Amino acid sequence: MRNVLEMRGISKRFPGVLALDHADLSVRSGEIHSLIGQNGAGKSTMMKILSGMYAADAGTVTLEGKELSFRHPREALQKGIVTVYQELSLLPNLTVAENMFLGREPGSRLTVDDRAIRRRSKEIFEQLGIEDIDVDERISDLPLAQRQLVEIAKALSHDLKVLVLDEPTAPLTNEDTEHLFQILNRVRGTGASIIFITHRLREVLAFCDRGTILRNGRTVTTVDVAAVTENQLIEAMIGQEADAFYQASSHRGAISSVPALEVRNLTVGTRVLDVSFQLYPGEIIGVTGLLGAGQNELLRCLFGVLPRSGGSVYRDGREILIHSPREAIDNGICLLTENRKEEGLIIDMSVKENITLPSLSSFRRGRFLPLLNNRRERDSAVDFIRKVGITLRTPGSRMRTLSGGNQQKTIVARWLLSNLDVLLFIEPTRGIDVGAKAEIYRMLSALAAEGKAIMVVSTDHNEILGVSDRILVMYKGRLSRILSRSEAGEEQLLSEIQGWHKHAQG
Amino acid sequence: MPRGNALAQGAGSPITMLSRGERVRSLASEWGIVLVIVALGALFGLTAPRFLLTENIVTIFKQISVVAIMAIGMFVVILVGGIDLSVGSSALLSAVVTMFLLNHGYLPTSLAILAGIAAACAIGLVNGFLVESAGISPIIVTLGTMIAVRGLAQTILWIDNAWLWVRDPAFTFIAQKNILYIPALVIFTVLLYIVFAVVLRQTSFGRFLYAIGGNARATALCGVPVVRLKTIAYVLSGFTAGIGGLVLAARLSAVSPGVGNNIQFDVILAVVLGGASLTGGSGRLEKSMLGALIAGMILNYLTIKGIPGPYQTAVNGLLILAAVVIDRVSRGKAE
Repeated sequence: MRNVLEMRGISKRFPGVLALDHADLSVRSGEIHSLIGQNGAGKSTMMKILSGMYAADAGTVTLEGKELSFRHPREALQKGIVTVYQELSLLPNLTVAENMFLGREPGSRLTVDDRAIRRRSKEIFEQLGIEDIDVDERISDLPLAQRQLVEIAKALSHDLKVLVLDEPTAPLTNEDTEHLFQILNRVRGTGASIIFITHRLREVLAFCDRGTILRNGRTVTTVDVAAVTENQLIEAMIGQEADAFYQASSHRGAISSVPALEVRNLTVGTRVLDVSFQLYPGEIIGVTGLLGAGQNELLRCLFGVLPRSGGSVYRDGREILIHSPREAIDNGICLLTENRKEEGLIIDMSVKENITLPSLSSFRRGRFLPLLNNRRERDSAVDFIRKVGITLRTPGSRMRTLSGGNQQKTIVARWLLSNLDVLLFIEPTRGIDVGAKAEIYRMLSALAAEGKAIMVVSTDHNEILGVSDRILVMYKGRLSRILSRSEAGEEQLLSEIQGWHKHAQG
Repeated sequence: MPRGNALAQGAGSPITMLSRGERVRSLASEWGIVLVIVALGALFGLTAPRFLLTENIVTIFKQISVVAIMAIGMFVVILVGGIDLSVGSSALLSAVVTMFLLNHGYLPTSLAILAGIAAACAIGLVNGFLVESAGISPIIVTLGTMIAVRGLAQTILWIDNAWLWVRDPAFTFIAQKNILYIPALVIFTVLLYIVFAVVLRQTSFGRFLYAIGGNARATALCGVPVVRLKTIAYVLSGFTAGIGGLVLAARLSAVSPGVGNNIQFDVILAVVLGGASLTGGSGRLEKSMLGALIAGMILNYLTIKGIPGPYQTAVNGLLILAAVVIDRVSRGKAE
């Protein structure tokens, strides 16, 4: 098979970082080619060079034998290279069809040929076998998974040669992911090639033809997916053996008979209904369920972000009332949410300032002198930067310069510095790479061994099975089952999550 | 600190300092405004020799002092992502209240001054409450209070037969006297800047304001009382507006209905020229004074050159646009 796209010897330097160092990528026509690597490996930079957002410092890009150099992303579009980013670019108030031909509306200079737009949009959807999207619907009325399909259909309305998808499956359920790949197979049928960026190796193995692995800005290898195992991919990505990926076993489980947190009959509106459980020091409880089964709301309520509508919460045996994050923190509870960007980071502040934000009051020079002790603050921040293993140049580096994994570790460091005992984590490894994931798992385990009480919400079953001592399964807002580690297998967990057999609480 | 040794596995991340070149570059982008001031000073001095006379420089500093003082509170509001159009009216209110109480002998000087500033703070509190607790856009809220408060202050003036004269010695001192050859007004302004710069840079209150401007939601999830602090930001804007109004009255020796009219635009211009981002979360307070200085130099130069007032207004407007464009472009580069 011939290569439709060749990227050779691509280098790109940003101030202080060599993002790409003579990286190569060749994509055959009509294949789904995954680009794999940890955050910071250079995947995004590579794709931004391909789509004309960045200019490479060295190297060549050839499409169908012709060398390309773009000065503007529009030129890449005109050559048939279309990129779909995680932040979708559709305008929510326009209809599907209007979005498809935005900026390229057929018709005369002053009028838009509405019918042609609708007809051609429908043709594309038919070609892709997408039946459940009405071209007259507003984008704002579509669920996320369908918006993605509109983006892909929109790509096909160009003369598509190469479709780049940047982590399209991160927010999708398994079912939607499978549907997405069915559609991608159709796209491939038109002769276009697809470059697929993901952190989920299972998807690579299940749906992709070949994969190119990047590490530290260099191409490690390109493999036929059929011939490799998940562990081999992990090893190629992180450059070391993938032993003991989820190190849950290094802590012993509960070390006290007084629960650090006890929840009785907690109800949060209609999202969480009558949930009761105990969380002991030294224990990691995994909480899982379908998306929207109430697991996020449960933790948000415990942190005082959502109001409680019924039930009670006890901390070390004392009843506590929590109405705000401040009260939660004062009671030794912290929350790491699934929206790192919106709810976690202050992107233009330094790493140091992000870490010390909730505990600033402990860096006062004196009780009556409200000035901050900068040296002590910096030393503490550095201490925790080391402990959680954040890779950065200086504690004064802006948050925005860090990779996703390091940003997440910064938020973990923030709560460790506050020295709280109950750690609530919602999707702690979402959107971060394998290496950083392994470090987060190690950290969770070490924290539990230290006596922290930890809850982890995740929709990744392997993660839940790997890290938890006990597993709470939620179904439609109710606690459907509590599984102990010994009794939980993947099959059983899955069937509980889907609510296939509805036992009473166990 | 007796905390988590079990995490030591993650240790060993290299923490280095920035190279010398990088430090020079970041210093240049941070303090490029000083170069602009020097360049403008040289240019103006060459084309209008009178510009660089000590006397004229002192005049410039006295002229910008009111705007510079009011820019402190405006900086804080802009820092948390808001805007305050009502400062000119709060300034008038503060001056009217103080002079009314003084001229009628209701209160001694110090208490009358406090009352005037308190009135302006109260306007800030109303702004803060309506923006943060009622959730109305700051432009709309402060536009409303701008008009209403000016009306209120003018009503007091009207009841009192239109103009209030400033005769109190404290006011003539601040407006006219020098301390060691430096005008008392300039010293007072610089002192205010030092106090607020320390508060913003060296206290958790200041750090929280920066954090709120950067990401209010994330800051709230760190247990910071965001609504309360943002409300306080508006109160601080009222506070410096109140002081500005009193200083303005002292300089003019009288309070007329037009005092402080449209001054909010000069104040916003100073903050934006000083490099504060209009989306909040970044900027340095000290540079707001330099922003006021740039605008003041340009207007002073135009006056020396005999350019009529309407042209100066146009130049002021262009400066605002230029500053906003520069803000936009430099932020685009950072992202």
